[in-house]
Amino acid sequence: MSQARSYDAIIAGGGHNGLTAGAYLARAGLSVLVVERSDIVGGAAVSRELEPGWTYSNCSYVCSLLRPEVARDLDLARHGLQVIPYTGGASFTKGGEYFAYHHDQRALEREIARLSPRDVEGYERFARAVTRQCRFVRPLLLRSAPDPASFHPRDLGELLFLLRRLHDLGEREMGEAVRFWTASVGDFLDGFIEHPLIKAHLAGSGIIGTGLGVYSPGTAYVLLHHYMGDLDGAIGAWGFARGGMGAVSAALAGALRAAGGEIRVNAEVERILVKDGAAAGVVLKGGEEIRAPLVASNMDAKRTFLGCVEPGALPDDFLDAVRRFRIRGSSAKLNIALDGPPVFPAVKGEAPFLSGDLHASESLLELEAAYDDWKEGRFSAAPYFDMLIPSRIDPTMAPPGAHMASIFVQYAPYDLARDGVRDPAHWDEAAREGLKAAVLDKIEAVSPGFRGLIRHSELRAPVDIEREVGLSEGNIFQGELTFDQLLFNRPVPGWARHRSPLPGLWLVGSSAHPGGGVMAAAGANAAREILRDMKRGGRDEAAFRAA
Amino acid sequence: MAERLKAAVIGAGVNGLVAAAALARGGCEVTVIERGAAPGGMMALGLFARGPHPAALEALGLKPGALGPAIPTVALCPSGRHVLVEGAEARFADGSAHPGAERWRVLSRRLDRFAAALAPLLTGAPPPMRLRAEGLPGLLRFALRLRLLGARDMRELLRIGLSNAADLAADALPEGPLAGLLAFDSVLGSRAGPMAPGTVVPLLLRRAPLRRMEGLAARLAAASEGKGARLRLGAGAARILFEDDRAHGVLLDDGERVEADLVLSSLGAAQTLALAGPALFDIEAQRRIGAIRAQGAAARVDLDFAAPPRLPGLDPAHHGARLVLAPSVQAVEPAYDPVKYGRLPALPVMEGRIDGARLSLTVQCVPHDAPRDRIVAATLAALETVAPGLGGEVRHAGALSPADIEAMTGAPGGHWHHGEIALDQFLTLRPANGMARHAMGPPGLFLCGAGAHPGGDVTGLPGLNGARAALEAMR
Repeated sequence: MSQARSYDAIIAGGGHNGLTAGAYLARAGLSVLVVERSDIVGGAAVSRELEPGWTYSNCSYVCSLLRPEVARDLDLARHGLQVIPYTGGASFTKGGEYFAYHHDQRALEREIARLSPRDVEGYERFARAVTRQCRFVRPLLLRSAPDPASFHPRDLGELLFLLRRLHDLGEREMGEAVRFWTASVGDFLDGFIEHPLIKAHLAGSGIIGTGLGVYSPGTAYVLLHHYMGDLDGAIGAWGFARGGMGAVSAALAGALRAAGGEIRVNAEVERILVKDGAAAGVVLKGGEEIRAPLVASNMDAKRTFLGCVEPGALPDDFLDAVRRFRIRGSSAKLNIALDGPPVFPAVKGEAPFLSGDLHASESLLELEAAYDDWKEGRFSAAPYFDMLIPSRIDPTMAPPGAHMASIFVQYAPYDLARDGVRDPAHWDEAAREGLKAAVLDKIEAVSPGFRGLIRHSELRAPVDIEREVGLSEGNIFQGELTFDQLLFNRPVPGWARHRSPLPGLWLVGSSAHPGGGVMAAAGANAAREILRDMKRGGRDEAAFRAA
Repeated sequence: MAERLKAAVIGAGVNGLVAAAALARGGCEVTVIERGAAPGGMMALGLFARGPHPAALEALGLKPGALGPAIPTVALCPSGRHVLVEGAEARFADGSAHPGAERWRVLSRRLDRFAAALAPLLTGAPPPMRLRAEGLPGLLRFALRLRLLGARDMRELLRIGLSNAADLAADALPEGPLAGLLAFDSVLGSRAGPMAPGTVVPLLLRRAPLRRMEGLAARLAAASEGKGARLRLGAGAARILFEDDRAHGVLLDDGERVEADLVLSSLGAAQTLALAGPALFDIEAQRRIGAIRAQGAAARVDLDFAAPPRLPGLDPAHHGARLVLAPSVQAVEPAYDPVKYGRLPALPVMEGRIDGARLSLTVQCVPHDAPRDRIVAATLAALETVAPGLGGEVRHAGALSPADIEAMTGAPGGHWHHGEIALDQFLTLRPANGMARHAMGPPGLFLCGAGAHPGGDVTGLPGLNGARAALEAMR
């Protein structure tokens, strides 16, 4: 066997954060190899043609949270990323009523007034409050989280920065910020808005991807994770990556290659190589060894530290803390190739908001009941769904006249209960059909004839997402976004700086601060920490500070 | 020297009595206004108390020893293998060793350490939202205690303090009655399940020894009077009086006016606002007060038998103990789900004790206006899991729903703590943003009830902190 190849850095896992970290490292002059076990890079940000002519963004499905700083730094537009904004969304009721969300302020006011005149003023206050919190949190995303138990000057500096920003909010807003971070999205909305349908529409983004209900404390903050998106500087704006989410990954891969980085697909990391108490490379499935003094894992914390590091290489208390890190599967995905456009009789004719996120949950209590099912180990009898039809504005997604529906489903447990026993193996054909029927029943009720348009469909239960993408329990955020797992607690208290107790082993995925969503923040932050550690980060450091 | 300050305290519950004693000690002439015929408020309905806090007792001139002996808890198990818990020690009720005893001990000691670190935040004003001289000593004491825990414990406190009781139990204890007890104590009096983030905080507030509630109200009232407070029983406050936008006294139901320079209300913020009238509060303050979550979910049930009821596996020697029926975390969490939709759970969780032929219970997970007979039926259904046939022996059953408790005591929503103890209603956010330092807005008007910082249970701390804030403001 020939001498193992070696690099300066190996990125284990080619998800969007791994590609981002790799691109930054390559730009700083390191020789970088990204190894990805699938046949394409992207992890959960991929486009696949499962039915000839139809492109599926079969995991993540919208683009908004991607940090504009990263897009600029890595010149993603030049590498082919094009984001097509959409301008609204809607929630439908079984009774034929609907609430349309418009990004245009005037249109939205008119729509709220149509349903509930008293809520116009309440919504305005709500939007102001959320925007203020977005402005407060956004600059924190691309900074490392301070460790409050450390006396290190950098930690004290970051802590001071955080406290100063809080202090700058002023007394009243500081209190509101703390309340916002700790309240439930349901209670938060109850303070502003009366109409149940409007509340249900707005609450959805507080529960997407989390094992929490709309009345669980901490969900108001998750709402933020979905409002933080900005396209061209517009807070809360959303869009589709032209060609599906794979286009984001392709652009990141382009940036990586342009900087001299390499990518190997169909290369699954079996184990992280440890030599003399430090990471020394990876061993691929099949036995091939690739050496590097720096291994950056894009896998989640459990998979990395519990699954890929040999026993004894990491201290027990660290491993216990990783075991305590909560990664709970709570979402499923239903992707459907449609032969024609779905019709919503509540809306007369064509409306721009139909190109946005569509839902059929009518009240906060309906959403809460969906959560109760999940807690008991059942998929929701009346699930919350977030349906998008990108083909309405991105013609590359489906043949002319046909459409592609991407339906995110909340809640579906990872280990389905049957006869009191919880086991992921219970996701058999019958269970999948059951969940699919529950979702389609809800859609059919607001869009009669939808079932008849289905040409091909793909249901991805949490266990499928785990198997195919490698995310533990199929959790889309690589770990619950509860406040005990954010900032300095993510993923493990004392190790929030992407480092691990094993020198040379780093975490670059969304198990690390600031968490999930196709933000590329974790990857960019990790690269900065790595480069700082290597004392060669001057250029990129400056770029980050400028941003 | 100037004339003595006059203070009126509305409500003679634990917090009103402590506030009155502290005000009297501070030199005020104090009148406590109580609607009921006897002092005590919610104490009349509670079975156990973990207080008052030593600082509150000191204000009353009482010593912790005067409260009587601490009592153990028996965590009931449908198998009959009940678990006897005395502080950090746990064993089976028959005296044999419990396999989770060591883990219980480790967890209990850890929670004790964390509670001690948290203490400076509770016995003074909550951390200020702006760096101000008066808030600094408490904050610095807290920061110091946090640091003294060591990096490891400090990180752990910052993690679990934000976490939930179900995860804490899953990490630290075997599933069963011990874990169930932890989960139960995390949501006692609240309207939330142990999986709700933030439920570890109430556990940290409940580390003091447990005692029976009997006689406590009368003792505290006597102590408060001993400090010079005057109790005015049998007439409630009809209106808080203002002169030049400053609190000036209280008009009673019977038409009497109690003149005062300071008015302290141990009622909820919303009830106090109603007594004061909305004119003196800006719209934002009213909105925040309106948004306080205070919907009670605990009922009181009394079951009378012909003879002391027998629970299989329970030694009559333990009849005086606190009995907790919450056999596992898996039993506590779903019990809270139906309440959200206004329904009673099939098997509610509860605590209680046996006095002679009476079994008295505090039953959790009860909707605000649940019918009494349904509350009793659900209670019996749950009790049957540990004592089959018990329901048939009941001679007489009485129940008070949260709505009944609200009507009797005036507690907001009939809520044990006058408001959920949750992270968004804690410390600087209790009762609401901008009101946590007990001053409600108009000069001279202060909050001193469980709805105020640091919150519910029988601690007396809101009363003590409220009185201190009022005295400071007059200085």
